[in-house]
Amino acid sequence: MTTQIQTEEVLTASNRRQNLFSGFKFPKTFLGLLPILSFAGIFLVWPLSAIFRASLHDNHNHITFAVYRELFTGIYREAFITSFKLAFLSALIAGFCGAAVSAALVRTSGTFRSLISSASGVLANTGGVPLAFMFIAAYGQDGLITKFLLWLHWDIYAGSFDIFNFWGILFVYGFFQIPLMVIIFTPAMENMKKEWAEANDSLGGSHFQYLRYVAIPTLIPAFLSATLLLFASSFSAYATARAMTIGNLPLVPLVIGTLVDGNVIPSEANLGDALAMGMVAVSVVVIAAYLALLRFSKRRS
Amino acid sequence: MRKLSKFNIFTLIFAAFFFIAPLLGAFGYALRGVNGAGHSLVNFRWIFQQQGFYTNLGVSLRLAAVTALLVMVLMVPTVVFLHLGGKRWRRLIEFVCLVPIVVPVVSLAIGAQISMPKWLQSTPYELCFFYVIVSMPYVYRAVDIGLQSISLSTLVEASQSLGASGLTTLRLVIVPAIRSAVTGALFISIALSLGEYALASLLHFNTFPTWVTNVSQENILGSIALSVSTLIGAWVVLLLIVFLPKIRSLRKVSVNV
Repeated sequence: MTTQIQTEEVLTASNRRQNLFSGFKFPKTFLGLLPILSFAGIFLVWPLSAIFRASLHDNHNHITFAVYRELFTGIYREAFITSFKLAFLSALIAGFCGAAVSAALVRTSGTFRSLISSASGVLANTGGVPLAFMFIAAYGQDGLITKFLLWLHWDIYAGSFDIFNFWGILFVYGFFQIPLMVIIFTPAMENMKKEWAEANDSLGGSHFQYLRYVAIPTLIPAFLSATLLLFASSFSAYATARAMTIGNLPLVPLVIGTLVDGNVIPSEANLGDALAMGMVAVSVVVIAAYLALLRFSKRRS
Repeated sequence: MRKLSKFNIFTLIFAAFFFIAPLLGAFGYALRGVNGAGHSLVNFRWIFQQQGFYTNLGVSLRLAAVTALLVMVLMVPTVVFLHLGGKRWRRLIEFVCLVPIVVPVVSLAIGAQISMPKWLQSTPYELCFFYVIVSMPYVYRAVDIGLQSISLSTLVEASQSLGASGLTTLRLVIVPAIRSAVTGALFISIALSLGEYALASLLHFNTFPTWVTNVSQENILGSIALSVSTLIGAWVVLLLIVFLPKIRSLRKVSVNV
């Protein structure tokens, strides 16, 4: 009954539509690419080329590469190193934790699964002041979790941990990095066939052998590309870094942000543009390394 | 559904602790009374009394809707095209969709500031276009994986032999067939536009996240309450997107029977 009514609905709807768009067919040529290419051209390539052009012009409108030399000195160099270290560690840690969560998640189903995957969507996009306040409320000096752990005789502030320093920020980044990993890695996990595990069992393979010879080799490319996304996401994280630090941790996005806001007047007006290009350059290098690694892992397997 | 191993259960419990603990900590503070004494909902009430709550929330919700619409209109037909006739362009588009990952949002913001025309820079809807760019890598992956799991060409042939036009096929056959992938893509773009801060603040627009940052400087407990509410509110919005169609189709069945 239901299906019949729905089919009728679909047919009448399609008839109505057909009068309007009867001439429309799926494009088979380059035309089908036109929308996305023009969109990316206007809102991605054009802004980028504008930064590049701006970074080459100094205060007197002469063309020079001089500003790029500054990126390798003093605070800017340090900012790049700290940003890279933070992004790399965060991608690695969140990569493994997120993969473990998606391994568990693919074995569940139904409402629980929907709840977790939509929660991951939200958590992956938290950041900035809300995230900072939540972690300060929980793990700050006066935080409720800190107090609870102290009650269990574990003083998390006994060591070098502080919610506002490098390690604290790494910890906070996990809150959006791990869900991001879950979102992008779960589809790859779902593609693992149940038959493979069964074949391994019937051939007498152990669980370790299944991991070593089946699961890990098939998942490595997806894992690498997912951690690459994680790297990019924490490398360019701005809102959270800005809310968590009090100027004590030099990170490139923050340095650019202060330059753009006009709070600091740089020696050269195009320094912000050069820093922005520098971030793009670092990401390009990381992507190149990723592609090389991917080729290597494919040849091995 | 396979059974969960001990390691899986350990992971889920650990993850639950990691993600719920900050929320609980924040709740603990948010539920405190005036000047931090006793317990009350005064901090949650404070949120609604702040100027700009409804206007900025409205702006962000509208931006999210426009972004989601743009993403659907731009990405779904393109990826479908790649799967049907444009296989040889696949590499190119994959590359184009990878580029936004390489470009830090801060860089994109600076570029937008110096390259976009004035009339566009005067409206917050400018942000939508960049939200589409930022969500492109994730949306592409989601839709691509969705299309790989169905036999697309068969569906399209069947639909067209019944006389459906390309657009009808897209709307009534392909999109329903990859519903979960499309919902995933919508999640990403909506959650992104609701929570995005860097672009909005660097381009000097007022959205909900920038408003949160501004008012949070006045009242610590109130802004902790606000933080918790934002997170849970965004989750509720996404859950509505997941469960509303299910509830609606349930009702349809009961009416028809």
